[in-house]
Amino acid sequence: MRCPRILLPALALALVVLSAAPAAGQGEEVPAGRGFGARFLQALIDGVQFGVIIAITAVGLSLVFGTIHLINFAHGEFVTIGATFAFFLNASPAGPGWHLIPAAAAAVLFGALMGAAVDRGLWRPLRARGTGLINLFIVTIGLSLLLRHIVLVLYGTRPASFAQYDIQEAIDLGPVGITPRDLTVTLLSILVLLGVAALLQRTRIGTAVRAVSVNRDLAEASGIDVQRVVLVVWMFGGALAALGGVFFGLVEIITWDMGFKLLLLMFAGIILGGLGSAYGAMVGSLVIGIVAQVSTLWFPVDLQYAWALLVLIVVLLVRPQGILGRRERVG
Amino acid sequence: MSADEHAPVLAADDIVAGYLAGIDVLRGCSVQVEPGELVGVIGPNGAGKSTLIKAVFGLLRVRSGTVRLLGEDVTGRSAHEQVRRGVGYVPQLENVFPALTVEENLRMGIYLRPKDYARRAAAMAELFPVLAARRRQKAGSMSGGERQMLAMARALMMEPRLLLLDEPSAGLSPVHQDLVFERVREINGAGVAVLMVEQNARRCLQICDRGYVLDQGRNAYSGTGAHLLRDEKVIELYLGTLARVR
Ligand SMILES: Nc1ncnc2c1ncn2[C@@H]1O[C@H](COP(=O)(O)OP(=O)(O)OP(=O)(O)O)[C@@H](O)[C@H]1O
Ligand SMILES: [Mg+2]
Repeated sequence: MRCPRILLPALALALVVLSAAPAAGQGEEVPAGRGFGARFLQALIDGVQFGVIIAITAVGLSLVFGTIHLINFAHGEFVTIGATFAFFLNASPAGPGWHLIPAAAAAVLFGALMGAAVDRGLWRPLRARGTGLINLFIVTIGLSLLLRHIVLVLYGTRPASFAQYDIQEAIDLGPVGITPRDLTVTLLSILVLLGVAALLQRTRIGTAVRAVSVNRDLAEASGIDVQRVVLVVWMFGGALAALGGVFFGLVEIITWDMGFKLLLLMFAGIILGGLGSAYGAMVGSLVIGIVAQVSTLWFPVDLQYAWALLVLIVVLLVRPQGILGRRERVG
Repeated sequence: MSADEHAPVLAADDIVAGYLAGIDVLRGCSVQVEPGELVGVIGPNGAGKSTLIKAVFGLLRVRSGTVRLLGEDVTGRSAHEQVRRGVGYVPQLENVFPALTVEENLRMGIYLRPKDYARRAAAMAELFPVLAARRRQKAGSMSGGERQMLAMARALMMEPRLLLLDEPSAGLSPVHQDLVFERVREINGAGVAVLMVEQNARRCLQICDRGYVLDQGRNAYSGTGAHLLRDEKVIELYLGTLARVR
């Protein structure tokens, strides 16, 4: 990937700023009475669950970077808006009181439309004027702030849950337990990620996305409408972020800044996996999620994001291109 | 498609274009390619040769001037639309997808008409036998010369009427340069008009019908290849002393 050298330091700075924010209340309560093996397994399950949700939100962030080299600081807000939009339709006293499933579907659609709107309305005109990447990066920070505070005004600061699937009994699986809700979310997330991979690997639009990520001019020269591909990537990324937001709101809680807090982990995931690669985003996010949860076996929950970042740094020292960086690049 | 068969394949007039706001790299540059012609563009490093090709192809926005393909005004159209109109382009650098195999690269070349793949791949195997033998090899693991062949084959998959080549011989050994130029003539002989940028100015002018010398974003000289090769000023400024000794 050719990207201006300045981008990575800028990103690192962003990560530092982000990590100053306190960690979201992640982590299931681990029953103290069980043996270490059981607790480890439980943390692993929680980690996979957390990781696949991060992965769903991070794919769009990674694809946007891959295709237009933009670091979208506002990507977390897509997550928040997805969750709060679904909350409005589902559980807000002012809303229509839909069941969560249609509300989630509407939120995903809304995420796609939002992605389309920012590409057509903002990024595309700015790109057409030749705005530099650093300037665009600053604009994404501004957009993030703006969107976050719009959510704050509309939604408020009170954490909330969806009307359905809120409190559930865990299914006892011997040493570990998982609620039907969490199990469903995890399985659905894995299914979605497999779907994304199949889409990228087997469809024409997927081929086009990969081609644009590798070499934009050569993609154009192959007859691919790059602007259209970029639009699709934004819609796709927006939809996935919204879905991830609903999932996160389901297994954890909905807050006005949930996406912003997740952003740190998404960045960690996509850098860890290899910038710009969708598969890298998946693998990296999974690692980040697992490390964050497993670390709570030994260390305070408040530090779990810090451990995820530490792993990021260690991996980058050994493998600067990330786990899958450069290897998977195709056209 | 309002194609006029008698109009020049390509007529670019007074092109002004650049990358950064306020800085024009091309400052009123014109090229024309007649049907079946092989036209060369030479000039010093940084003259704007690659920029000219990108502007003509639609990868770079044209700030003023017009680009016509077979009489049709295509100024401001993006490159993928030019591909549909019969233009093939081989970039100077990174002209193949390195992680893809030869076969997959050729498939990318005919992304718009996948049904024609088999027929076109067979034609390319004939033109470039070296590729046929290496179907499953990753493009990134091929030698510079083979890669250049693949890049040309990729661009020819759509049966273009005009092929834009940006320094096809760059970085190749003399033997491989000869092979590339031979292929270019063969492609041109089959009726494809070619606009070729070259740093190997002498060789380029030797095989071209006509040539343009570009300098600082403007046309400096133009004429038939043979004429430019004999022009004292062109020799002095662009072909170097070696040319004179010969
Ligand atoms: N992507 C870019 N952004 C900004 N400026 C560029 C870019 N590409 C080229 N330039 C500038 O435009 C001018 C012309 O470059 P161009 O690549 O067209 O030259 P060239 O004639 O093809 O040279 P060469 O023989 O080295 O390939 C140079 O001054 C170069 O620095
Ligand atoms: Mg050049």
